[in-house]
Amino acid sequence: MKRRLLSSLMVLTMLTASVVGCGNAAADSTDSAPQQEATKEEKAEAPADSATEAPAESEEEITLRMAWWGSQDRHDKTIAAIELYESLHPNITFEYEFYSFDDYFTKLKTLVASDEVWDVFQLGGNFPMYLDKIYPLDEYIESGVVDVSNISEANLKTTRDKDGTQLGLTNGINTYGIAYDPAMFEEAGAELPNENWTWDDYQKAADLITEKLGIFGSSTFLSSDFIAGCSAYVSQQGALGENSFFNIDLTGMGFTDYQLLTPFIQMRADMIKKGSYPDAGASAEVTNIENDFLVTGEAAMTWVAVNQFPTIYNVCEEQGRTLALAPIPKVTADGNSGMVIQSSQMLCVSQDSAHKEAAAAFISWFENDIDCNMILQAERGIPSNELVREALAKEATTAQQIMYDYVDYVSKLPTPSEYNVLSPDGQDQVQDNYLNYIQQVVSGEITADEAAQKTYSDAEALFK
Amino acid sequence: MKERRLITKILYHILVLAFGFIMVYPVLWMISGSFKDNAEILRGTLSLIPKDLKMSNYPTGFRGFGGTSFAVFFKNSMVVTTIATFGTVISSSLVAYSLSRIKFRGRNLWFTCMLATMMLPGQVIMIPQYLIYYRLHLVPGYVPLILPYFCGQAFFIYQMMQFMQGIPRELDEAAKIDGCSKYGIYARIILPLLKPAIVTTVIIQFYWKWDDYMGPLLYLSRPQSYTASIAIKLFADSASVTDYGAMFAMSTLSLIPVFLIFLFFNKYLVEGIGTSGLKG
Amino acid sequence: MEKLRAKLNSDAVVGHVFAAPFIFGFVCFSLIPICMSLGYSFTDYSLGSKQAVFVGVKNFLNLFKDEVFSKSILKTLQYVLISVPIKLSFALLVAYILTRKSRMVTLYRSLYYVPSLVGGSVAVALVWKQLFARKGLFNSILVNMGLEKINWFGDEHLAIYPLILMAVWQFGSSMIIFAAGLKEIPRTYYEAAQIDGANGFQSFFRITLPCLSPIILYNLVMQTIAAFMTFTQAFIITGGGPNNATMLYALNVYNQAFKYNNMGYACAMSWVMLIVMSLITLLIFRSSKFWVFNEAEG
Repeated sequence: MKRRLLSSLMVLTMLTASVVGCGNAAADSTDSAPQQEATKEEKAEAPADSATEAPAESEEEITLRMAWWGSQDRHDKTIAAIELYESLHPNITFEYEFYSFDDYFTKLKTLVASDEVWDVFQLGGNFPMYLDKIYPLDEYIESGVVDVSNISEANLKTTRDKDGTQLGLTNGINTYGIAYDPAMFEEAGAELPNENWTWDDYQKAADLITEKLGIFGSSTFLSSDFIAGCSAYVSQQGALGENSFFNIDLTGMGFTDYQLLTPFIQMRADMIKKGSYPDAGASAEVTNIENDFLVTGEAAMTWVAVNQFPTIYNVCEEQGRTLALAPIPKVTADGNSGMVIQSSQMLCVSQDSAHKEAAAAFISWFENDIDCNMILQAERGIPSNELVREALAKEATTAQQIMYDYVDYVSKLPTPSEYNVLSPDGQDQVQDNYLNYIQQVVSGEITADEAAQKTYSDAEALFK
Repeated sequence: MKERRLITKILYHILVLAFGFIMVYPVLWMISGSFKDNAEILRGTLSLIPKDLKMSNYPTGFRGFGGTSFAVFFKNSMVVTTIATFGTVISSSLVAYSLSRIKFRGRNLWFTCMLATMMLPGQVIMIPQYLIYYRLHLVPGYVPLILPYFCGQAFFIYQMMQFMQGIPRELDEAAKIDGCSKYGIYARIILPLLKPAIVTTVIIQFYWKWDDYMGPLLYLSRPQSYTASIAIKLFADSASVTDYGAMFAMSTLSLIPVFLIFLFFNKYLVEGIGTSGLKG
Repeated sequence: MEKLRAKLNSDAVVGHVFAAPFIFGFVCFSLIPICMSLGYSFTDYSLGSKQAVFVGVKNFLNLFKDEVFSKSILKTLQYVLISVPIKLSFALLVAYILTRKSRMVTLYRSLYYVPSLVGGSVAVALVWKQLFARKGLFNSILVNMGLEKINWFGDEHLAIYPLILMAVWQFGSSMIIFAAGLKEIPRTYYEAAQIDGANGFQSFFRITLPCLSPIILYNLVMQTIAAFMTFTQAFIITGGGPNNATMLYALNVYNQAFKYNNMGYACAMSWVMLIVMSLITLLIFRSSKFWVFNEAEG
């Protein structure tokens, strides 16, 4: 009996030891997987003198791991593109994975924890969080492995870190706009949106449409209301580049007076009370751009990321309606637009990759090759490569043409010399709280001013 | 008298059926949704009859993703689920026997630990657990999806313990007098009498495992190894387009195995009520 | 030899042999993660790339200032206290009604079990949303009856009820377990009661309930824990809104851990709730001495 106790005690001690071991390992896993790390480091050094390494690399049998999120359509197209690449480079085989958006990031976080992020992976505007895992492309651009000759400076900038390192290449550039149904505006006698319309115009039109047609004047902006109301609305005020929600290097706030936010929050609450903007219950019914109230005919306009525009345009066309696209309203007609061209998502090379150069070469091909992009069909957003865009534009549908024209228009708008389109770690929390505060204003729990103040201090708390 | 009885009987059946219909309505809606097109599903009509019957959701869905069809996903699910369910039954009954029938030091401790494992949300232990399997070089692979099920599942251990409480101790005593060891008592007395609890374990665990997608998401990586549960989730992407028709079609297909398991084992819960129990 | 056999048959050995799978699994795969989550709760660990820094009890202190956390606790308690009793009574009632020997019973029980088979599916969440939507089935019934429409998911006080109803709707697993328990009650008991002149109600309360009490205890404990852990429904149907009125605790933990990247904070939250849940479970166990009839011990 005693001996048993002793032996089980020993087992327990050993296990406790392993507990401690593992606990440390989670924070810093390099020590527990020394062999793997060693090989990784060796490989990591290789690209440094890539000129001599390159020929050797092309002989080598390489397996690249790649992952992305998206729909069935995207999966099929991406896999077809990968297969084309494999046929062109027989020494390279791909192991690919694909998930839906939420699942992708859950999976990515586990891989970050275990230092085995895919060689090539897709990231959106939240990339600052994964900076440690991104291997910058600069050295490959220099050595010519990655070709950026046909990608404009502005487009390259969308996936650059604040210190100028090229983190990845964008899969497609994107921007926001208001999709609307002109027929509904005319029926209600509301003024159509134009390039210089203001939030006041927006509210007036929405209220009028609700009054006359009994539908929502504007559909819900969902979580993008934060981008419209906080990011864009703030940067639209003052001189060009004077205000922005967060500062350029994401270390603090980009404006000082929380009251800049108050009118927007007040407008939202007023619209919800009048019924010209969906309340929380109605907003919850919108799950997807395809069942947005604009598409179901219950609203006259909605917020879109422009790469979604062709989808809803086509659905509405089937119903016999024609949609149009307008820029987001401004604070004053002659003020800043607050709009910039952004990257929808980008492909990056991972720090954990053993074949960084091969991964970079693939990314370059993926963004620049015309055959490849004819397969992909701009499904991820508007290609950043001019030649690719021209090739695709030849076959563009009406909706795609509207989208291309709109992006051209936005890219010509004056923008501050430096701006920031990235979200700091934890922005989602500020965003969720912001939406709740608006509901509290509607129910009379707090005033719009208090909501603005709370939103400001929530955002400020991210940097403490 | 006889008439009244008949009326009550008919009433009983009507009531049970009507209520049953309300119960399964959402499921029927899903099945009918598998024959509708996306626009009709999204319009949110609650009608069960599709406007025009669209059969193509099934072939579109079954085609799967990038050359891996749902036949593969269903096969993977089947293998994982069957093994895990089998493991749960064996291991949980063993553990339940020790915790409910054997008086040994530490059993209260283990019982408490068992309940505690259910009280921490999966989200906070998921990543540390992943790291352990990763260190053991078991990722990616099926082992982390199966191995824990051979270590007993708290929900079922406790359930079996409660059922064992209903088995009279006199039976153990009698067997002991006949020269049966404690191992023999488990195999010859307890296990056979535990049949109803085992049946419910199979039914419930099979479904849970079949439906589980967090595990497969974390521990599998090649699309060819995905289970049906993650594959179905692939149709829905909040950032782009969701093909509801195809998703409903595959969800409907995915219901069939769990439903068959239920039908097959359910009969053990129905037939011969009251014939077991004390007859030993 | 004889000695070895006696030793192998001793309670200590048998107990550990049979419990071995659990002990092995617990120590290898649960204990370490549990300890790690406790450790994280004292750090600012996040699932991105940052190194964890020890912050003492800061996370726990912040919990008390967090409006969303206190609201989520209240809402979770409301959810548990309403859904569990209704769900269990329902499960027991249906299981009892369906013990009749009839060919139809299999069919009926299948009907009632089906909802439990589709629990986490997106399809069902969609249906549920549409049932309670502004123009959904429930509201059209209300309008037909000449009543006002209800904005279920827009009203802070009402939004939790569709979720509760959904939990109750999925009473199938508890029903199956009750059915198995009912099956274990020897028919001789009922026969004896019938001879003594007991009617249906009396035999239900005097025989069925006491004999089933260990199973009731089991279902009560498990369903309470499961209700505290409810995640999927809130995640896909309401996403926690409106104004956090359906922010169930597990969803809050998920948001903090994965959406807002405050893993350390999420762990602190989980441990606070672990304590709350243990206390409630303990309370149920303590009370069970008064109402659970234990055949094996008694």
